[in-house]
Amino acid sequence: MAMVDTGAVRLHVQRIGPRDGRPATATLVLVHGLLTDSLASYYFTVAPAFAAAGLDVVMYDLRGHGRSERPADGYTLDDGVDDLEALLDRLAVTGPVHLVGNSYGGTVAFGYAARHPERAASVTLIESEPATPAWAVKLGGILDRVVTQLAHNETDAIAWITAHRGHNTARLARGAARLARDTTLGRDIPASRVLTEEQITAVRCPVLGVYGGDSDLAELAPWLEALLPDCRTVVLAGHEHSVLVEAAPAVGDQVLALVREAERAGAERAGAERTGAEVR
Amino acid sequence: MTPHTSVTADEATVLADLTGLLARLMEDEYGLDDLVIGPRTTFNRDLELESIDLVTLAGLLQERYGDRVNFAEFLAGMEFDEIIELTVGRLVEYVVASLKAAEAS
Repeated sequence: MAMVDTGAVRLHVQRIGPRDGRPATATLVLVHGLLTDSLASYYFTVAPAFAAAGLDVVMYDLRGHGRSERPADGYTLDDGVDDLEALLDRLAVTGPVHLVGNSYGGTVAFGYAARHPERAASVTLIESEPATPAWAVKLGGILDRVVTQLAHNETDAIAWITAHRGHNTARLARGAARLARDTTLGRDIPASRVLTEEQITAVRCPVLGVYGGDSDLAELAPWLEALLPDCRTVVLAGHEHSVLVEAAPAVGDQVLALVREAERAGAERAGAERTGAEVR
Repeated sequence: MTPHTSVTADEATVLADLTGLLARLMEDEYGLDDLVIGPRTTFNRDLELESIDLVTLAGLLQERYGDRVNFAEFLAGMEFDEIIELTVGRLVEYVVASLKAAEAS
């Protein structure tokens, strides 16, 4: 198991690439969601296909999640972007990367692209959105429910979840309750500094939004397309918030198509610049 | 990566290998050292492994068998229900088949 010390926190990282020894054509960074999620949601779904397609695939557990260290505090969105920035620095990933984020992980990925537009080759937001004031209010509501109902009344809450949602969901909920109880995550995330419209539209790389047709977030698709300079969205019918895991092959194909287009466009731009330089 | 020792592709040996790896994982992550693990043991119901534990297991399998066994690809090809029902015996079958395929090539 690879642990990377960013200087602020020790993060669990998994990195896979093409198995036949070919050099990778681009780097893809996959960021998971909050509380019950970990890099496993990519590791056993889309990541093997990305590596087989010739990509260098970097996955990590957010602080407090999976096998990463769980500091008591430091859970604002800016802390999350700082962690990602420091991690890529430690891994010596210097060129532009293709970012993929699921749910809150997409908000972190977009935050990185907004902070460093020149380092983002593309961004895929799966059931996710950039950090806006409305986003912070929504997350505040969700986290308040987790903290008050789950973390502070765990026995009753877990009994209800076991009866109505089954053993596996109850186990995940217990993990979420521990994280909410042991850290300031529940307070930090809603208190995060959000992005201005100017910061959001500074992300000029290709952006793909993927949503489940039965998810509340699907209504963000037209807004996102209208707001961003280069954005398309895909709504996968019959899926909810866990579309990444439920419809992994379809989501993976969309991401690969975006990465290939962005790489081709980047190569054409570089070619045009070279030709321009020669003419001059 | 080259495994530390030579590997035999028969079911009994692989089962012994895997129960050893799983016992190590359960002790390291959960402090449990008295589990009885056999071919019918399920990862989800019996061992209560979370998906992140399966990532750790993938790393242990990589250490033991090198690139001949790819646990992530094995699970990526499964439906969610199959993963929930996955047994140690089913993983033994997969490892044996992978090792035989690697020998043949």
